[in-house]
Amino acid sequence: MSDALSLVLLALLVVTALAATLSRDLLAAIIVFSGYSLVMALLWQRLQAPDLALTEAAVGAGVTTVLFVTAIFKTQRMEEEAGRKRRRGGGEKEEGRP
Amino acid sequence: MDRLLDNYHYAAAAILFCIGLYSVIVRPNIIKKIIGLNIMETSVFLLLVSMGWKDGGIAPIHGGGAEAAAMVNPIPQALILTGIVVAVSTTAVALSLVILLYRQYGTLDVDRLMKEEESESAPAGAGSGEG
Amino acid sequence: MKKVISLCFIGALGVLLLMVMASMPRMGDPQSPTNTRVIDRYLEGAEEETGTENVITGVILNYRGYDTMGEVTVIFTGLAAVLAVLGRERRGRIHAYPDRSPIRPSIIVRSAVSFLLPFIVLFSLYTVLHGEISPGGGFQGGAVLAAGMFVFAAAFGLWRAGRTVPPWLRYAVEGAAPVTFFLVGAAGLVGGAEFLTYMLPKASAGLQPSLRTWMTLLVEGGIGAGGAMIFLSILMAMAREEDAGGQAA
Repeated sequence: MSDALSLVLLALLVVTALAATLSRDLLAAIIVFSGYSLVMALLWQRLQAPDLALTEAAVGAGVTTVLFVTAIFKTQRMEEEAGRKRRRGGGEKEEGRP
Repeated sequence: MDRLLDNYHYAAAAILFCIGLYSVIVRPNIIKKIIGLNIMETSVFLLLVSMGWKDGGIAPIHGGGAEAAAMVNPIPQALILTGIVVAVSTTAVALSLVILLYRQYGTLDVDRLMKEEESESAPAGAGSGEG
Repeated sequence: MKKVISLCFIGALGVLLLMVMASMPRMGDPQSPTNTRVIDRYLEGAEEETGTENVITGVILNYRGYDTMGEVTVIFTGLAAVLAVLGRERRGRIHAYPDRSPIRPSIIVRSAVSFLLPFIVLFSLYTVLHGEISPGGGFQGGAVLAAGMFVFAAAFGLWRAGRTVPPWLRYAVEGAAPVTFFLVGAAGLVGGAEFLTYMLPKASAGLQPSLRTWMTLLVEGGIGAGGAMIFLSILMAMAREEDAGGQAA
């Protein structure tokens, strides 16, 4: 029974890592990466490491995600298509910001 | 081969490492590469902490009647705690370099960055004074 | 073409790694080398030799104290590198942050964050101080406090976060992590014993238990507060607009 939960968590980990790697939209990749950190924090708890679970939850969901979002905000949101010369969606920022 | 089904934590860590490596090598966007680097780091943390697992283990905290013989290995946990903080510091420095790169060149695609770097250094000394 | 070669290389590496994982001892085996060699000394000796009940806090502050010293140096160097790359704040100038827009975040976000934030700060303080008898410690509390401040900055805007945690406070506390560590370690030198003397198990067995606990708490508090301020300063440095002539926003 406990093995089944660990197996499901590990499978979810692989799926979210693949989704973060293969998506074109960088903002979507970062939100999925935050989900990856959440599943990793649950796995640390399954492996009986409470300090690591606390730190990974705070660092992965709080610090790393906001740093990545700030970096995207300063640069561009969409990954560039290979072979195209012009930037697509390069000036696109979140709604409401001038 | 049958032990691979028992060691499914290790197998998942190996697969995650390969996914992260794919993101670093194949994807041309720099922020994708940094995400791949983070995935590689966390996969190694998973491998090390799950190597310290003991059957029927409990968390390594005394008090409340916990006996020392049933605790999991505390050494990988202490080392990986340091590792998590170092990983986030490395990510912060890498992202600040990406911001500077974007200010300078206006693109985040590695192939275009390399072309612009070649075309800047080819006329000797002409492109380095402006900015 | 390059993509095909890379995929073949990664596939080969993956197969090799899976073969290695299959030949390792079974996970959780009580007779495997990771469970029989050294850890009995750490698990049983932790309570008397380090004075903490949490074995992990005892390991990182006492048995592996030099690693923690290296780590506080690493996060401080990370802050120095980010400021070297992106430029530091100039005294007397008002820096522009890119979020002085007339549209504020929705009321759900604002009320949820204002409700949760005092509890997050209180919980981080509890985590730092309870590091010795429950899961917690310096880094954990500092990470929770940093996450709370980041959520505040993301919901209410960086300019308001910059006013709530003013620059002089950040400058004063950023250096707290390495400085308290080295000071507490050097206190052993002053007393005539070795560097980091409260940490070495044999030397610290001679100190009174209350003195050892106070020194451990001081180091943990320094690491926690310093770590949180360092992360906040990194966020402010990354989000700052570059000065174009030094005009106020």
